[in-house]
Amino acid sequence: MRPILSIATTTVGEAIRRRVLLIILLIGVLFLVVAPGLGVLSARSETTVLRGMMLGIIQLTSAVIAIVLTVYMIPNEIERRTIYTILSKPVQRYQFLLGKYLGSVFSLGIMMLLMTTVLLTMFAIQQSSNLGVLSELVKAPIMYFVQMSLLAAVAIFFSTFVTPLVNFFLTGGLYLLGSLFNPFFQTLSENNNTPMVAKIFAKIINTILPNFANYNVQNPIINPTQQIGNETQYYINVTIYGLFYIGILLVGGILIFDRREV
Amino acid sequence: MAAAIETKKLTKSYKARSAGRVNVVDDLNLIVEEGEIFGFLGPNGAGKTTTIKMLLGIIYPTSGEGYVLGKEIGDMEVHKLISYLPERPYYYEHMTGLELLKFYGSLFGITDKDKFIGLLEKVNLHRDMTKTISQYSKGMQQRVGLAQSLLNDPKLLFLDEPTGGLDPIAHREIRDLILGFRDEGRTVFISSHELSEVELICDRVAIINQGVIARQGKLTELLKGGRVEITIDGIDSADKFLTDLKIADSNVRSLPNGYLLDIPENETTGDIIDAVRSRKGNVISIVPRKKRLEDLFVETIGDRSGANK
Repeated sequence: MRPILSIATTTVGEAIRRRVLLIILLIGVLFLVVAPGLGVLSARSETTVLRGMMLGIIQLTSAVIAIVLTVYMIPNEIERRTIYTILSKPVQRYQFLLGKYLGSVFSLGIMMLLMTTVLLTMFAIQQSSNLGVLSELVKAPIMYFVQMSLLAAVAIFFSTFVTPLVNFFLTGGLYLLGSLFNPFFQTLSENNNTPMVAKIFAKIINTILPNFANYNVQNPIINPTQQIGNETQYYINVTIYGLFYIGILLVGGILIFDRREV
Repeated sequence: MAAAIETKKLTKSYKARSAGRVNVVDDLNLIVEEGEIFGFLGPNGAGKTTTIKMLLGIIYPTSGEGYVLGKEIGDMEVHKLISYLPERPYYYEHMTGLELLKFYGSLFGITDKDKFIGLLEKVNLHRDMTKTISQYSKGMQQRVGLAQSLLNDPKLLFLDEPTGGLDPIAHREIRDLILGFRDEGRTVFISSHELSEVELICDRVAIINQGVIARQGKLTELLKGGRVEITIDGIDSADKFLTDLKIADSNVRSLPNGYLLDIPENETTGDIIDAVRSRKGNVISIVPRKKRLEDLFVETIGDRSGANK
């Protein structure tokens, strides 16, 4: 456990100093700051637009950070030969990979926490400082954090055997597919009018694809009239789903990385 | 003396772009004794770093066996007793020298700050321990690398090009540190191109070329058989004179006022001097030339037949 934590801590130290990540974060924060100004321009309810826009900014910025942060994680260590010094110590490869993953997740957590703080501050200044409203608003970033942890696991998995560029498109593509098309495949597989072959295909795709759409919980937050049936249960279920999927990806990544020539 | 490293027919092959496989390291039989400084030499792409990576368990051999400190390569217990300084190492630049040692120390469970400072003192970096690695010169980075390689008090150190790209002063500092390791009873396995450095510090060497060990042995034995350069004048035909002396493996070069005889060290220099004088010639100078590691290296790589000698 000790080597995992040491590697994770070092990964955080390095990640929070990476200029490209800081620039992406800065852009995200800037958009969050100016978002209330843009909300005024909308014809719809200012509050609804503002919530949607700010949560969208956090989600998009976090996704870009998660991908950029993790696709280079393992290849950089190999290219710069830092991995050799570490693996020549009593450190197993699985410990190295887990340390890198946990470090990425901690870094994401720090950056998302910063954006959420800006979100809450701006919202409190502009709209309402009611604690109930703010705590309702914070649910989405928490779910996004689980989503981004899953996204980071996908990127770490691919980084054990593909180049960063391929990984960028693979992970990004899977994120889009899992966010936009998973609900479609789910509907297709459950619809009685769907032909059997298409139903099976949709079911397989729906099972294999990480369901990122699970974590897009902004709708009920933006429109309080839309509610999830049993909210707490739903959040627990999708978190368990995310952890399970992350576990599978990490085990797969470890198995590949363990035999990989570095 | 026990073997710190032993390999038996250790082989590493990769798929070639064209059909088939290429043996990067081929049937490597190597023995490194405990407490010695062993030089592992070879041209670029000879298989030096691949061998080190196999011995460290970073890559896996295709076939053969390898033992480090008596245990099979890849055994995690051995990793507690060895250390590695890679070629052109890169360290996390945001860390200070002290933080770097703390990080690597934590991988062994070492948290003793005094130990870290002591090691930085040993490599003469204690005054710069609060500077970040990005502020370190190449030589300082190499020295902090050596400090991290001593964290676990290793019995065996693998140093890959430890003096590569350093200035003469840094060369000397690193050389003195390595010699100090031997005095402390550690085994040092050095892969290097810096033949003059290796010659100064190594007890034994192996020369690898195209994945095959071409020469291996004690440096003193491998470097036996130097040459002597004798400059003479007043002789009409140096070639005939040399033929008369029946010297093999000699070279004769014409000089403006005489000849330069390049003869093996084991020939009787006195006989040649007598012969020159008997022909009314003059011996201008006699310069013994010790066989250098560079000569051995060129000789070995130049005439490599691929068989272990």
